[in-house]
Order: sequence, then C-alpha cells, then structure tokens
Amino acid sequence: MDSRAEVGAIDARALLTQAEKGASLWSDAGRRLAKNRLAVAGVVVLACVFVFAAIGPFASPYSYDGQDRENRFAPPSGAHWFGTDNLGRDLLVRTMVGGRVSLMVGLAATAVSLVIGVLYGATAGFVGGRLDQAMMRVVDVLYTLPFTIFAIILVTYSGQSIVLVFVAIGAVEWLTMARIVRGQIMSLREKEFVDAAVVMGLSRRRILLRHLIPNALGPIIVFVTLTVPRVMLLEAFLSYLGLGVQAPMSSWGSLIREGTLAMEEYPWLLIFPSLALSLTLFSLNFLGDGLRDALDPRSSKD
Amino acid sequence: MHMTRYVVRQLASFIPVLFVIITLTFFLVRLAPGGPFSSEKALSAEALAQINAHYNLDAPLWRQYVDYLAGLARGDLGPSMKQPSRSVSEWIAYKFPASLELGLYGLLFALCVGLPAGILAAWRPNTWTDQLPMALAMAGICIPNFVLGPLLVYVFSLRLQWLPVAQWDGFAHKILPAVTLGAVYAAYIARLSRAALLDVLSQDFIRTARAKGLSEPRVVLRHALRGGLQPVVSFLGPAAAGIITGSFVVENIFRVPGLGTEFVKAAMNRDYTMILGTVLFFAVLIMLFNLAVDVVQAWLDPRLRHG
Repeated sequence: MDSRAEVGAIDARALLTQAEKGASLWSDAGRRLAKNRLAVAGVVVLACVFVFAAIGPFASPYSYDGQDRENRFAPPSGAHWFGTDNLGRDLLVRTMVGGRVSLMVGLAATAVSLVIGVLYGATAGFVGGRLDQAMMRVVDVLYTLPFTIFAIILVTYSGQSIVLVFVAIGAVEWLTMARIVRGQIMSLREKEFVDAAVVMGLSRRRILLRHLIPNALGPIIVFVTLTVPRVMLLEAFLSYLGLGVQAPMSSWGSLIREGTLAMEEYPWLLIFPSLALSLTLFSLNFLGDGLRDALDPRSSKD
Repeated sequence: MHMTRYVVRQLASFIPVLFVIITLTFFLVRLAPGGPFSSEKALSAEALAQINAHYNLDAPLWRQYVDYLAGLARGDLGPSMKQPSRSVSEWIAYKFPASLELGLYGLLFALCVGLPAGILAAWRPNTWTDQLPMALAMAGICIPNFVLGPLLVYVFSLRLQWLPVAQWDGFAHKILPAVTLGAVYAAYIARLSRAALLDVLSQDFIRTARAKGLSEPRVVLRHALRGGLQPVVSFLGPAAAGIITGSFVVENIFRVPGLGTEFVKAAMNRDYTMILGTVLFFAVLIMLFNLAVDVVQAWLDPRLRHG
C-alpha cells in the first residue's frame, strides 16, 4: 500500500475516533441523565410549567387583572379552578402570568450572570498573572458584600421595574460563575490541545472563545441550572417583601404574599402559588443535581 | 502565636472592605431619585429647607460623604431621618436583640436537626435511613421560607392551635419563626455532613478503628465526626449571612420586632442614615462571624493552623 495513503488513513481513523469521543462525552452524559429518574421527572415537570406559564393564559377566558366583584374569594370550582382572590380575579390565570414573570426573571438574570461571569472568569484564568490576581481580588471583595441587602436597596430605588430587578439579581450572581470558569480555564490552559492551537497560530481570542470555553461547558451548564432556582427564589423573596413586581401584575412571590394575608379563611390563595413555585424549584434542583452527576461523574462520590 | 497574628491581619483586612461597602451604599442611596422628605407634600419649601439643613442634606454630596465618614470615625452613625426619636445606634441597639435571638434559635435548630440527620444518612447509605432524611433535606432546600412560614402557621397555629400565631413574647412564640428560619440551613447541614462523613468513613484510619473492634457509634461519633464536621463549620459563615438576610422575611411573617424589618422599612422610606447604619452593622456582623468560623476551623484541623 502507498505509505502516504496509509498515513492518511491512520489520520482519518484518528480523527474519526476523536470525533466519536467528542460526541460520546455528551451522549454518555445524556444516557446517564436519562437513567436518573428524578432528573427526568424534573425535566417533564419543567416542560409542563413552561407550557402552563407561556401558553396557559391564552387558553383561559379570564385575564390576570380582570376583576369580578360578585365573585370575591370564590373557592376552587369548575369555573375558577384555583378560586379567586380578594378582587375576584381568577387565581389560575394570575398564577400562570406570575409564572411567566418568575421564569423570565430567572432566565434573564441567569443569562446576565452567565455572560458576565464567563467572560470575567475566562479572561482572568486565561491571561493569568497580575491581571488575574487583581481581578480575583475584586471578586473576593465583592463576595464579602451583603448582596441581598444591596438588591433590596437597588430594587427599592429603581422604581421597581422588572428589568432592573433582574439586572440587579444577575449582577449579584455572577461571582461564583466567574470563580468556576476561571478554575476550569486555568486547568485547561495547560492541556496539549491548547499548545497545538498556539502552534497553529490561532489568535488568543479565538483559542479562548472556540477552544477553552466550550471545553468548560459542563460545569457551566450545571451551575446555570442551579443558578436559575436561586435567582427565582431571590425574585420571589423581593416580591414577597413587596419590593419586586407591583400590582396588578403578579409573580409567584407577590401571589404568595397576598395568599399569606388571607390564608386563615381562604387557604387556596396561599396553596396554589406556593405549590407552583416549590414544584419548579424542586424540578430545577433535581435536574441540576442530575446534570452534575451526568456531566462530571467524579463529583458524585457514591 | 500564629492564630493571633491571623486574626489581627483579618481584622485589618475588614477596613478596606467596609470602606467599599460604605462608599457603595452611600452613593447608591443618594444618587437614586427621591429623598427621605420628598414624599411629604405638606411641608412648605421653607420647612423642607430647614429640615435638609438640619440633616446636612443641603451640602454638596462629597461634603456629606466626608462628614459621614468623619462621624463614623467618631463612632457616630448619625440620627435616624424618619424616626428621629432615637439615633441610628440606639435603633440598632433597640431592635437587634430580637433578631439575634431569632437567628440563634434558628441556627440552633439547624444544627440540632441537620447534624443528626446527616449522620443518620451516612450511617447506612442508600437505605431508607439515608433516603428519607435526604428527601426531607431536598424539600427544605426547595421550599422557600416565605412558603414554609405561612404553611407552619396555617397548620400549627390556625388548624391545630398548638402554637400562637405571632407576637414575640415567651418561648412558644419563637418556635415557628426559628424553625422557618433554620429549615434551609438544617437541610444544607444534613447534606454537607452526610457527604463529608461518607468521605471520611472510606479512609484507612476508619478501617483501622473498625478492625480494632470499636463499636460503630464510637467509630462514627469519635473518629469520623471530627473530620466530617469541617465542611459544616465552614458552611456556618455563609449560613450566618443567610440567616441575617433570611430574617427579613421571617420577621415580616411573624411580626418580630427586629432589625430586619427596620432595615426594609428604612430602604422603603429612604431613611439614608438608617440604611447606611444597618448595612454597616450587618456587614461587620457577617465578617466577624466568618472570622470566628476560620478560627474554629483552625482549631479543628491542625494543618490549617500553620498555613
């Protein structure tokens, strides 16, 4: 056989196995995730909650702020599945719309923290040296700040707009992400494929964005799924204190607050929004735990 | 003595961080629209000017900032702008004891429930004595305290009528708030201590202890727990911070006359001095607690003492 063809064949085979390896990391993780019953249940419930919040309001004959004075505090029935509140508003629709707000804030704030955290952490980890030390010192100092307190101040002063709520929350949550990404990038930086990329003359920017960050994706994804419930919790917390979403708009936090005030005689006002929030948080946490076990088998000890 | 030097160095490092906190809060609060007296329409322009002069609000911003720092250096947090009957320091001294009591009970509950649950779970992993406490811990993490609190009130106060609804006198009034506040931390402590114990239990010196024929409780409680406790101890630092901020909600639910409620009120009323004073107070508290955690950790693990 022509030796050049042989080399070519070996090369092709090497490339092929490498490609298989690359694909099998994710398919392996997918298979492990599919075996985790709790994580799968989490995905199913999340999908339901998503449909419930996104499409639900269109299917309902009521609107989230439509008042019906005749039907105040109506218990759950065929007409109002979740009952009605103190102004005769349908709780089912309000819970669905509240879910939109909660999910939106959760996703948007996580996205903000993701972008800031990944860019910051990757830059620090990749450049290293003094810049890294200075950047991480900033993170250390920010870590010691009482952030929930700042979020409260920010939200009370920002005229309570939803946009600012999630910018504030996202700005709070990026620190841990930055630390995780930095650690990942620092260990990846020493690997051969980075040397290879350098030898091939790729720009540093390209090495960082195309080679390093994609390889750090596993821990990033896991952390994102665990950030979303934290952020949703923070939004609900702010809304519960009456600082977040303002009436007549609803969010799960503000609905729970209203429910608490009336729970003695009208417990459904508390039960349904609480159930919606807790169920979502449960699912996200199960999914996050499952993903962590699936993507990084070493991290789970048993 | 290494430890003393460490503590002194840490205390010194608080100063720049506190400076950042004060500066950030000061300008964050001042640059936002609205002021402590802007909503009181009944005030004449003259009276408003007088009030602003009284509280030094008519001076240029940098001047107010410098004056505030100068006051701080003297240990003076200034008067409360919206509740002038007491100074900020007096308000903190007046309101904090209830928050402290609530926080201590909460932490105590978290430790008393979380630690045994974690030990029980690690004792026989993947049996029902493991799965049940861990499922409860997951519930503790996923059910927010502003859901748990009202739920507990509904069940134990309104339906069963075992415990009083609100108010803040006598031990019975403090059970539900403490449980509400401590539940999440109990859950985290249970998970952490389980993981740490499982880790330690797989090590050689434990096998040696078992080979010597020591009883199982003795192996776990005397030999494994010391190492297993460390992640729990280091978790107590962030937990303290969380318990402080968590008390905002719990105080709100149970009408506890504490500093958390006072802080939220101050933020809503734009009571500048009160906001700054409480933020500073909380920050110092969190830092001191973290330092205490470091010291306890060094005591538990001799290797850290000489790091």
